[in-house]
Amino acid sequence: MATTRREFLKAAGAAATVGAVGFPAVVRAQAKPGVPSDPVKIGVLAIRAGIAAPVGTAGLRGTEWWVERVNKTGGILGRQVQLIVEEESTPKDTVERYRKLILQDKVDVVIGGISTGVTLALGPVAEEMEVPWLSWDGTTQKGVEETMPNPKWAFRSVDNEVEAIVAGQLTPKYFKGVKTVAGIGNDYSYGHDCWETYQAVLKRYIPDVKFVLELFPKLGVTDFTSHIAAIQQAKPDLLMCSFWSGDATIIMKQAAAVGLFKSMKGVFTTAGGVHDSLKKEFTPEGLLLGYNTMYFDDPKGSPLLRQFVREYKAKYNEYPAYECDHAYFNIESYKAAVEKAYATAGKWPSKAEVAKALEGIEVDSLSGRRSWRPDHIQMCNFYQGITTHKNGYDFVTINPIEVVSTKVAMKPAGSKLIEWINSWKI
Amino acid sequence: MGGVFHAAILFLVAAGLQLVFGVQKIFNLACGSFYALGAYTGVSAVGYFTSHGGPPALFMVPLVVAGLAVGLVGVVVERGLLRFVYDRDETFQLLLTFALVLMLEDLIRMTWGAAPTSTGGLYLGYGQARLLGATVPVYNLIVIAASLAIALGMGWLLTRTAFGRIIRAAADNREMAEALGVDMRWVYVRVFTLGTMLGTLGGALVIPATAAMSEMGIELIVEAFAVVVIGGLGSMRGAFVGALVVGILRSLAISIYPELEMLLIYLIVIAVLLWRPRGLFGTASA
Amino acid sequence: MRTPVGLAVIGVTVLALPLVAAPYYVTLMLPFMAYGVVLLGFNLLFGYTGLVSFGHALFIGVGAYTGAVLTTKFGVRHMELILLAAALAAAVVAAPVGALCVRYVKIYFGMLTLAFGMVFYTFLLKFYRLTGGDEGMRMLRPHLLGHEWTGFSKTAYLIGPYYYFSLAVLALATLVMWRIVGSPFGLCLKTIRDNPLKAESLGVSVPRHRWYAFMISAVYAAVGGALLATPTGNVDPTLAYWTHSGNIVFMVLLGGFSSFFGPILGAFAFIFLQDTVMSVFPYWRLIFGAVLALIVIVAPGGLMGLFTRRPPVEAARP
Repeated sequence: MATTRREFLKAAGAAATVGAVGFPAVVRAQAKPGVPSDPVKIGVLAIRAGIAAPVGTAGLRGTEWWVERVNKTGGILGRQVQLIVEEESTPKDTVERYRKLILQDKVDVVIGGISTGVTLALGPVAEEMEVPWLSWDGTTQKGVEETMPNPKWAFRSVDNEVEAIVAGQLTPKYFKGVKTVAGIGNDYSYGHDCWETYQAVLKRYIPDVKFVLELFPKLGVTDFTSHIAAIQQAKPDLLMCSFWSGDATIIMKQAAAVGLFKSMKGVFTTAGGVHDSLKKEFTPEGLLLGYNTMYFDDPKGSPLLRQFVREYKAKYNEYPAYECDHAYFNIESYKAAVEKAYATAGKWPSKAEVAKALEGIEVDSLSGRRSWRPDHIQMCNFYQGITTHKNGYDFVTINPIEVVSTKVAMKPAGSKLIEWINSWKI
Repeated sequence: MGGVFHAAILFLVAAGLQLVFGVQKIFNLACGSFYALGAYTGVSAVGYFTSHGGPPALFMVPLVVAGLAVGLVGVVVERGLLRFVYDRDETFQLLLTFALVLMLEDLIRMTWGAAPTSTGGLYLGYGQARLLGATVPVYNLIVIAASLAIALGMGWLLTRTAFGRIIRAAADNREMAEALGVDMRWVYVRVFTLGTMLGTLGGALVIPATAAMSEMGIELIVEAFAVVVIGGLGSMRGAFVGALVVGILRSLAISIYPELEMLLIYLIVIAVLLWRPRGLFGTASA
Repeated sequence: MRTPVGLAVIGVTVLALPLVAAPYYVTLMLPFMAYGVVLLGFNLLFGYTGLVSFGHALFIGVGAYTGAVLTTKFGVRHMELILLAAALAAAVVAAPVGALCVRYVKIYFGMLTLAFGMVFYTFLLKFYRLTGGDEGMRMLRPHLLGHEWTGFSKTAYLIGPYYYFSLAVLALATLVMWRIVGSPFGLCLKTIRDNPLKAESLGVSVPRHRWYAFMISAVYAAVGGALLATPTGNVDPTLAYWTHSGNIVFMVLLGGFSSFFGPILGAFAFIFLQDTVMSVFPYWRLIFGAVLALIVIVAPGGLMGLFTRRPPVEAARP
C-alpha cells in the first residue's frame, strides 16, 4: 500500500520519538555544516492502478525500504528523508502531479515514472521546471532519440529494448536450429519496439530466419486462447513474448493448457516482472526468461540483495522483481550525488549541482554496481537465463544465469538503435 | 474454440446486464466491476480452500460458491443505492452505475491490492481434450457447458416459472404489472441481485484460466456493451447470440487480421446501432 | 451569485490570481478553464437539448491532437490558428458523427457516442506510426497573440500569458454560448428537450437542431482540448478514453446542468476536489464515486442546485 503523507509523517514521528529516547547516537546524527536540519523532500510518482500497478508498487516498496534504512543511519548528510508520493496515471494528470510536487511541495528531486506515455511527457516538463527527475522505467527509442537529445535535468532509465537485445543475443546460443519465429507483445510502443529490436538482432545471427507471425493484443487482454491457436497454426520453431505483467502469467497458463511449448521454444524477454507467479505447474523448463536488471536469487548476489529479498518476502509474502532495483538505484544515486556535490560545495548542493554530480556516478544497487552515463541514461546488468524447476520454490527460477552488461547490450550515446545493431561484428 | 470460451463468459456478464436492463431499464456500467469482484473473490476462496487442505480437484466448488455468494452484494447495491433513482431520468441511473464503477474499482484495490492474482495452474489438473482438431483444456469445456446450462436455465426461468412471468411482465409494462398487484420492489431487488450474480459468477469462472488484474472490469464493460448492442437490449437470446458473435468474431479477427480486433467490434456496434438499433432480438425502442 | 457585484468580485479574483496565489494553484486553473470551455459546449447538448453524450472526450482528443499535429508536423505555432483549426476539425468530424447519432435519443444516443469515442481511441492507439500510439505526440509551446514569450520559463509562461489567454478564450466562449442559449435557436433546443413532439408540430426540425447543437458542443470540446494540451505538452489516447467522457458528465452534474454557469462551477469543483483528494488519499476514486453517487441521489441539481434551491427532483424528472 502506498505511503501517504499522513502515514509517513506518523511513522516518522514514531521513529523519531523512539530514536530520541533509545538510540540518540544512531538516529540523531550530527547535522553537517552548511546542511539544513529539516528533512529533505523527495517526490515520488508511483502507478497505483491498472495493469502496471504491480510495477509501480514494487518501485515504491523498494524506495520505502531504502528510506527506512537510510533514515535509521542518519539520512542524507544528516537530513532525514521525507517521501511525498503522488500517483502516476495518465500523462496529463501525472504532469499536473509533477508540477504540484515541484511548485507546491517544493521537493528537491522527483523520482519515478514508468509508462512510456507519461515519461515522454515528463521529460520536457522536467527540463522546464529545472528540478532533477530520475525515471524508474519507461524509456523507448522515441523517448531517447527524438524528444530529449541533451537533457540537463531529466535522467532516463535504461533503454527498454535492452531486454530484446539480450534475448536476441542469447537465443542462438541456447536454441539451435531456429528457422521460424513468431512474436507476441502488447500493442503499444514497448511491445512493438521489443519485437522490432529482437528481429533486427536475430537477423544478424540467423540471416535466413523467417518471422511467420506477429500478434499485438491490447494491454489488459486476459484471454489469449485465440492467439495461441494462431501461433500453433503458424508452427514456428520459437515464440518470443515481451509481456511483463499478469498477462505473462496468463499466456503461460493457457499455453500450458494446450502444450504449446512442447512443439516450440519460448523466449520471455521481460516476464521476470511477475516471476513468482510463473508456477512450476504450468511453466516448463527450458524457456529463456528475462528478469530485467535484478534477479532475486542470484547466487553471486550481494548481502544487500539477500537482505532485501528476505525482508521483502517477510513483509509482502512475495519475491521482489526488477522495479525495486530501478527505484533503489535512483534514490541511492541521488544520495551519492548529493554527498559528492557537498564535498566540493561545502554546503547542501543546489539542484543544478546535484544534477551535474549525478552524471557518471556509480553506486551499489540491489543488483550490483549501477551508474549514470553522462548522457543521463543508466548503465547496469541484465539477467536472463533458462528456466528450471530445480529449486525450493513453487515457481521457476533460472539456471544457467547470463549476466549481460549494458556496455554490450545497449546502444552507446548518440547512436541510433538499428544502425548500431547492424554495425555489430558477429 | 477459444472464441467460444470467451463467449461463454461474456454471455454470463451480458445476461446479467440484459436482465437488469430489461426489467429496470438501467444499463449497469458496473457489471464489469461485479465481474472483477467475482474474479478476485474466487481467487481468495480457492486459495483459502486449497491452503486448508481442500483437494485441488474440487477447486470448482469454492469457486462457484464464492462467485454466487459475492453476487449477493447486489442486494446491498440495489437497496442502498439504486432504488433512490428509479423515478429519475435514465441518465442519472447510468451515472449512478458509473459512480459504482469508481467505488468498486478502489474497493477491490483496497481489499486485494493491485497485483495480478490467480489460482495458479489448478485448472490444468482437469486435463485436455482434442476437439475439432484443436487441443482444448477440459476446464474450458466445463465452463462452456455451465454457461450453456445457465442459458437454458434462464430460458426456463423466464418462460416457465411464475417469477419469470413476472419478470417478463414487468419488462414489458411496469405500470400494468404493478396494477396487477406485483410488488415491484420485491421484483427489482431479486432481478438486480440475479443479474449481479451472473456477473460475479462469470468473473469467478474465468479466473482459473486467466488471472485477476487491476481494471479488468473497466476493460470488460466495453465488450459487454458490444454484446448487448448486437444482441439487442433487454433480450436474453440477444445476450446469447451477441456473446457468440463477439467471441467468435474476435477469435477470427485474431487469426486472420489481428490488427483489427477491437476496432472491428466497435464498427459492428456502430453499424448495428445505425441500421438496426434494436439489435438482433431487442425489444426496447429507439 | 449572478448579481453584477458577485460577478465583479469573481472577475477581479480571477484576474488577480496569478499575482497573489501560489504558482501551482494558478497552473491548476488552466485545466479548469479548458474544461470550462468543454463543459459549456457539453451542456448545450445535455442541459439545453437533453442529450447525454458518453463519447465527448472524442472531441477533446480531436482538439488536442490538432494542436499537437500543427505544432510538431506543420510548424504552426500561433495559438489562435490552432484553436481555429481545432474548431474546424471538430466540426468536420462532428458533422457525420452527429448526423448519425442525433437520430436516436437517451440510452441509444449515449451508447452510440460511447462507441464512436472508443473507435477514435482505438484509432489513436493502433495507428501508432501516424499518431504516436500510446506515447502520443508532443505539443510545442504555442505563440500567443503573435509573441513567442521566449524569455519566460514554461511555468512563468503558463501562469502569465497563457493564463490570461485561456481566460480570454473562456470569457469569449461564455459570451458566445450565452448568446446562443438566449437566441431563438436556444429556445428551440429547450422546447425539443422538453417536448419533441410539440416542437415538431411547431415546425421545428428536431434532428436538424440537435445536429447543430451537437456540432457546436463538439467545437467547444475541441477548443477546450487544445487549451488542455498545452500545459501538458503532450497528447495521448487516454484523452479520448470513455472514462474521460464519464468525467465530463460527472463535472456537469457536479456543477448543475440546469443552470448556465453550473458546468463551469462543476469544472472548478472537480479539478480542485481531485487535486486535494489525490494528494492525501490513494483511493481517491472511491471518494469520487461516492461524491457522484451522492449528487445523483441527493442533489441532482448539482452545486448550483444547492445555491438556487430549486427542487432538485424536478430537474431530474424525465
